[in-house]
Amino acid sequence: MQARDTGALLLTELEVKRAISALAPPSWLRLHKAARALCRNAHFDAEDLLQEAFERALDGSRQCSRTLDIVHFLVGVMRSIASDWRKARRRRPEMSLVSPTGTLQGVVIKVRDQRPAADEWLASTQEATCLRQAILDLFADDDVAQRMLEGIMDGIAGEELRSLTQLSQTQFESKRRFIRRRIDKAFPQERKP
Amino acid sequence: MTRNKDSHQQAPIDRLIEALVEDILATSDADLLSEAQADDDNGATVTRRAFERASRTIALRRLAQNRRSARGRRVVGGNIRALDPKTARGWLEEYMASHPDAARKVSGERSARDRLSDEDVYGMLEALQKRGVLKERAADQGPDRR
Repeated sequence: MQARDTGALLLTELEVKRAISALAPPSWLRLHKAARALCRNAHFDAEDLLQEAFERALDGSRQCSRTLDIVHFLVGVMRSIASDWRKARRRRPEMSLVSPTGTLQGVVIKVRDQRPAADEWLASTQEATCLRQAILDLFADDDVAQRMLEGIMDGIAGEELRSLTQLSQTQFESKRRFIRRRIDKAFPQERKP
Repeated sequence: MTRNKDSHQQAPIDRLIEALVEDILATSDADLLSEAQADDDNGATVTRRAFERASRTIALRRLAQNRRSARGRRVVGGNIRALDPKTARGWLEEYMASHPDAARKVSGERSARDRLSDEDVYGMLEALQKRGVLKERAADQGPDRR
């Protein structure tokens, strides 16, 4: 009974397909922008992420509640996939065949230690630090935007973030959009933060 | 420990990405369209293309699954004579083992099944088929040992 109730609250696979097919152009754009944002500073492509999210929605491996907006649902699916892909990339062991004797019988499979080596960690840390600085430098002419960015990257959100910037709600939203637009234009696709 | 530091360094960028996504979700349709026009952004086309590709992939995957499950299944209404003689005999033996009374009626009281010719076997299976009592099974499935 409980399962049946739960099922009634979820869209069927056909309903999901119809809902996506019926999306208006701004929603397609919104999905693409969200995919691009989630792919930033990652090593995968927005179109691949979109396709994977659509596939999971269409085959029912991710299910959408009837009360949830389909675009928000798809963005949630992409968020989850992007997170998995990033983790998988960090964990992926590299294997190589080593044949010291030159014969097939003598082949040894070397599996790379999955923990980041010191140099990798340093490179990754430096990269993240550089990226953070590059983003802040992008707003060198705008103290408020810099404050807002620092707050976001430090984990401050919502009302607390708004009061940190001392902006009205409208000004705050406008500033956030301005930040997004400038980042969009400043960084090439693959390296965007 | 090392990995925690790595994640910690990544977190500020992840938070920023999340804020960008939130802003995208909060932006009005009109603003998104004007942004796309200003940037010559073909994102809508790219997304639709990804959706169409995903739809095709899912359709093909389902088709392949259906084929896999249909492969090896023989519809009982099909041509019994297309079965190889050994399989046909196996089906008949199975039926007779589970329905001795009905089998006796069809075979006309013949009990020495090993003396039946292939033609007899096909004929009896066809008779059973006509009566609608032959159950569907995999073509390569041997006699049911239940």
